[in-house]
Amino acid sequence: MSQLTAPTLTSPARAEAGFLRVLAGQTVTVLRKDLLLEWRGRSRLLSVMLFGLVTLALFSFAVGPDSANLRAGASGFLVLALLLSSTLALSESFRLEHEQRAIEGLLLLPVDPTAIYYGKALGNTIFLCLLAPVLMWVAMVLYAVEFGALTLVKMLGLWVLAAAGLSAPGTLYAAMTSRLRSQDVLLPLLLFPLVIPVLLGSVKAMDLVMTGDPMSQLRSWSLMLLAFDVIYWSLCGVLFQHAIEDP
Amino acid sequence: MTQRIPWARISWEHWVAGCGLALLLVGTYVGLFVAPPERHMGDVQRIMYVHVPSAWNGLLCYTGAFVAAIVVLWTSRPKWDAAMVGMIEAGVVLNALLLVQGSIWARATWGVWWDWDVRLTTSLVMLLLFAGVMALRSFVEDAERRTTWTAIATIVSFVDVPLVYFCVRWWRSLHQVQSTPETVDRAMVLPLRMNAVAFLLLAIWFAARRARLELALRRRDEVAVPERRELVHA
Amino acid sequence: MTPTTTPALEARDVARRFGRHWALAHLDLTVEPGESVLLAGPNGSGKTTFLRLAAGLYRATHGTLSVFGRDVRAERQTSRRFLSLVSHDAYLYPRLTALETVRVWARLLGRPARDADLMPLLDEVDLTAAGGQPVGGFSAGMRKRLTLLRSRLEGSRLVLLDEPFAALDVPGQKLVERWIAGFRRDGVAVVLASHSLEQAARLCDRAVVLHHGQKAWQGAAADVVSRFEEVTCRN
Repeated sequence: MSQLTAPTLTSPARAEAGFLRVLAGQTVTVLRKDLLLEWRGRSRLLSVMLFGLVTLALFSFAVGPDSANLRAGASGFLVLALLLSSTLALSESFRLEHEQRAIEGLLLLPVDPTAIYYGKALGNTIFLCLLAPVLMWVAMVLYAVEFGALTLVKMLGLWVLAAAGLSAPGTLYAAMTSRLRSQDVLLPLLLFPLVIPVLLGSVKAMDLVMTGDPMSQLRSWSLMLLAFDVIYWSLCGVLFQHAIEDP
Repeated sequence: MTQRIPWARISWEHWVAGCGLALLLVGTYVGLFVAPPERHMGDVQRIMYVHVPSAWNGLLCYTGAFVAAIVVLWTSRPKWDAAMVGMIEAGVVLNALLLVQGSIWARATWGVWWDWDVRLTTSLVMLLLFAGVMALRSFVEDAERRTTWTAIATIVSFVDVPLVYFCVRWWRSLHQVQSTPETVDRAMVLPLRMNAVAFLLLAIWFAARRARLELALRRRDEVAVPERRELVHA
Repeated sequence: MTPTTTPALEARDVARRFGRHWALAHLDLTVEPGESVLLAGPNGSGKTTFLRLAAGLYRATHGTLSVFGRDVRAERQTSRRFLSLVSHDAYLYPRLTALETVRVWARLLGRPARDADLMPLLDEVDLTAAGGQPVGGFSAGMRKRLTLLRSRLEGSRLVLLDEPFAALDVPGQKLVERWIAGFRRDGVAVVLASHSLEQAARLCDRAVVLHHGQKAWQGAAADVVSRFEEVTCRN
């Protein structure tokens, strides 16, 4: 090992920057770090996708081979597959943080807890959105639904809103439950009743997109989803610091 | 020597409960035997005299828990945590009662034990939300973390309630005209209001007893700071 | 504003309880800017608890703690800018490489994060060759070097070190000694918790011995080795 000289301390380079600029910068860095970690562990993405596919197939077996029934329930099955897959994604995102107490290291730098929240919630949303192409394609095949280009775009837009609606409270609850025994029970127990508006809204909206919207209700449901997202992305961002710091 | 009842040492909430019970007895008597039967539903409608008070007071308890949760995050005071827990549990009990009563009413009115009526469905979701909060609390061992996380979950759950209500209303509305005094016959208003106040007093008793228990449990775990030790001289 | 006249660390009657156990009680400690203090004591005496309190990771049950005049809990976003904690935990993501890890830290601290800026830092801790390897495969010594690099990157005025010599071979321990000497030369305050009394005492001005969560003795660091057994054998 080479002879190491003791370090000399340069003047601290923690520039006085605008608060929002710093927050945005830290959020982007946390997001990039999470996306890089997900890329390194991409076998997990494949596993979660497979889990989603299994869920879609199970619904087919439960409902029976009647094409009409399957087509009628297609939007519900898709959203449920997303919902069930989300808990796997959310709990994993915090397992990485607690492995070597890395999140404590972030807090000590210091990184604003709000930046950690938005970085991780955005990462979880992107992860869930990556499931969309595969699950939608499989749903088209299994449930005999056909999407035109415009339908597909609308479906993807609704998927993004739904994924964001799951990620906002899901990231907050995952931060808490990841430190407890029985987190595999607690996270769905807390999250699933909470996101019923997301479930109802996205199922209804996707159904309208797939089967037609004669009474122009799609806009109302989409706005409801958007309202849920705005409320919970704001509220959970404020509450996160209390969830993540030790008492 | 006759023993005197130490009236002064009886906690205030027992007096409140006493008044509540008395009012409940009177209100229930009036509702069952004095108020006229409803024109369409007949005597089945009389369940309203416990169903509506359960609903109002359950929601009031959850609202109180929400306010306490905000104060808890601000101050971390054990008393506010105890109050929050008391109101959550009182709310959950009333919520569960509400669902049972609603189920009985649905059976008598529509022939099924459950229908996706807007308010009944919202009540079910509320019960799941706040039962989840209680479940979370039971898994956290550290008292301060338990306080903070219960408050977070309470706030997040309470904010969801109006969203669930409006969402379910759009999703499915099996109309039930809201039972406000303006739409209820005058003869029915009195027992309804009496029972509403009675349920409120009983809910206050329940929440207060639960809060006392929570504080006592917390104090049981507290140990006084050890005495300051002398320094060994340098 | 860079604080220069207020104490680097000031603890007044600090106490911390976990359940029914008081890990710390009645602790008063002041560390002046540029001073280095050895925190000694048997296992369970409260050294780690105190350092975590000073970093604002726990809230004190009683008492006050401030870093350069900033309450470590109420103003933790500010107080943490002035301090670094080097502890048992490496705060690493096993799947990231050393270079990626340092890049993340630099970006979060608002420092330049190009490879040209980061490679010299890895050179200083002799991790250049391992810069492209996932840190999950690093030895204890390599993880410690990376953690020390982090404290340098933070540019803190107060460094808290919790058992920095633990699990290190001799060259690793020499590295840590040189870094601590460097902190002292640069006027950085140091609080060093260690069981390696002789080694740590050489690096510190003053020593405090904790026992059963309370201060049992304080004096010159040079005297701690001879007084330690006597102090900790009482009660």
